[in-house]
Amino acid sequence: MFRNPEIELDDLPDMEDLEWQPMHRHYVRRMLLERLIFAFVLLAASFVPTIASGGKFAPTVPLWVLAIIFALPYLSWPLVSVPRRGYVVRDKDIVFKSGVFWRSVTAVPFNRVQHVETSNTPLDRKFGLANLQIFTAGGSGGDLSISGLGADIAEQLRVYILDKVGASIENH
Amino acid sequence: MKITEPGQWQRTSPLAILFFFGKLLKLIGQNAWQSIAPFAAFIFAYEGELVTKIVFAVIAFFIISTSLSVLNYWFFRFQLIDDSILIRQGVVKKTQLDIKFDRIQGINTQQNVVFRYFGLVTVNLDTAGSSGNEGNLPAVTREFADSLRRMIGKVRNGDDGVVADARPDADALLSLDSRDLIRIGLADRRALIVFAVLSPLIERMDDNVYKIAASYVDEAIGGAWQTSIAAGAVIATSAALAVIALLALISIGAAFLRYHNFQLFLEGDTLRSHGGLLTSHELSMNLGKIQTLRLEQGIVMRCFSRYRLSGRQARSSQKQGKNKNFIIPLVNKTQANHLREILLAPEGDDLIQIPTSPEFIPISPNYMRTRFLLISLLPTVVGLAVFSNLIGPASLVFLLWLSASSLLIYQNWRRAGYHCSSDGFVRRSGLVGYRTVALLYRKVQRVTVTQSRYQRRKSLASLRFYMASGSVRIPYIEHDTAKRLRDYALYKVESSQQAWH
Repeated sequence: MFRNPEIELDDLPDMEDLEWQPMHRHYVRRMLLERLIFAFVLLAASFVPTIASGGKFAPTVPLWVLAIIFALPYLSWPLVSVPRRGYVVRDKDIVFKSGVFWRSVTAVPFNRVQHVETSNTPLDRKFGLANLQIFTAGGSGGDLSISGLGADIAEQLRVYILDKVGASIENH
Repeated sequence: MKITEPGQWQRTSPLAILFFFGKLLKLIGQNAWQSIAPFAAFIFAYEGELVTKIVFAVIAFFIISTSLSVLNYWFFRFQLIDDSILIRQGVVKKTQLDIKFDRIQGINTQQNVVFRYFGLVTVNLDTAGSSGNEGNLPAVTREFADSLRRMIGKVRNGDDGVVADARPDADALLSLDSRDLIRIGLADRRALIVFAVLSPLIERMDDNVYKIAASYVDEAIGGAWQTSIAAGAVIATSAALAVIALLALISIGAAFLRYHNFQLFLEGDTLRSHGGLLTSHELSMNLGKIQTLRLEQGIVMRCFSRYRLSGRQARSSQKQGKNKNFIIPLVNKTQANHLREILLAPEGDDLIQIPTSPEFIPISPNYMRTRFLLISLLPTVVGLAVFSNLIGPASLVFLLWLSASSLLIYQNWRRAGYHCSSDGFVRRSGLVGYRTVALLYRKVQRVTVTQSRYQRRKSLASLRFYMASGSVRIPYIEHDTAKRLRDYALYKVESSQQAWH
């Protein structure tokens, strides 16, 4: 039967008192390690000009100082950004928040999900992490991608979302 | 050619050779340099009389391309089975397409002059979201195209296919006359692109004009000095005017070619348009496929108080940025309102899309601050600082930038606004002209609310609705409003039982 109950706008579920789930507790460590590896590769590369200039450090000291000034915020950034991320799975949608300066909250209703993907890099596997990507139609501006979930949680979410997607299709 | 029993491969009319020939020419045109190279090599590398060689080359070109087209035609076969159409094509690299009827978004047809004489059309099967899987059926009869359309409608709607006969004059929603076409031509933005392409030529012409003017000046050194300056000025001005007139003519000509005898009509829930002078284009789109409805008015259109309306369909993820649009090139205010009611039926009734309506809610003036700092002030200060040493007081010209850009930012803010009803949302934006984009909440794919540090201090936020056709962003609205709109849109999406496509 067709029903069309009137909705009180103030009764709509809002996101004020959501219990945000944090990312996996190893995620910060994983990010730090990744950035450290990258920094070491750069460090190794930056010995090249030093060696090329005859092994003298003195002329390249300002460059090193500059590098350290830039490297510190780069290396410590995950400590700031990761705690600000969070997600909530509700009955009909999944909400993800992120951002330090530009804070954004994205909501994806399950009945608009096209497909779901989990992936992990070797580094993720070492820490037992995984990425969850949720695709909707249109694909503009990147689909919702949540990294730093525990591998088991990512898998659970994938199954849960697919289940919800299937249910919403059957309702049509 | 008749629609035969399912399960049989069939060819199209031999006139399809023309279609393949045209396709080949287009391909050559797209790879102009690679295609010309062998030809040029032939002309210059071998000895002999130039004219003979050119004649020979042209004959060879026609023989090769005609035989290629014939081969393409010969290897092009298709068949219809229950709910899909199979196409086999390719001479060397053979491909088989399997297009399911329920994947087809619209059936568009094109008819060039020759095809029109024989009552044939080229059918383009517009599929959802798969770029490499688009099918063309060249040179089939109009009856076949119509029956195909009916079959696809039947499969898609699961009913008898209430598609009426294609009778353009039956319930036409809109038709354009010659005056409208002239308006379209004058307002066409592509005129500017043509201008950009031709500008090197124009520069060269300018050189010549300059030379002529210079010779006048040389002549006139003895006597009538002022008259020849005047003559030079007249020549330059008239040349410029001639170029502008030429561009306008080209643009109007293009409008006639594309939209001559343009008619828009509704069959059941399918919108169809028909028009074109030499090649007539027929486009169709299911109303349910419309994701956003865009009403645009450039500065020229504003003088005519007309708008351009386009319905945007879901875009494929492979072909980034390429939208499938259904364009209605010229509408007036009443038509725009009427069409919105039909195109977004039944929920679009109480939406307002005419940009000058007072119903639009402005966004926060704080919108201008960041833009002013980044676009106006920063370049001006940097420009003044850097150039004041180099060019002295002349660097004050940067103050012009400050005032001009501030004015534009102010205009941009004044144009920005939004309007919402219980089922849909309209965003207004623009700089010189206006653009309003209307959407229905239930077709939203996902929503994002973003706040910068500055916005957090002022409790403002930017709201972005991601649609299957692209995203619609409304910046600098109250944070509470943004959250309410988001929650309401989510409620609409999550409680909707209707398909979004």
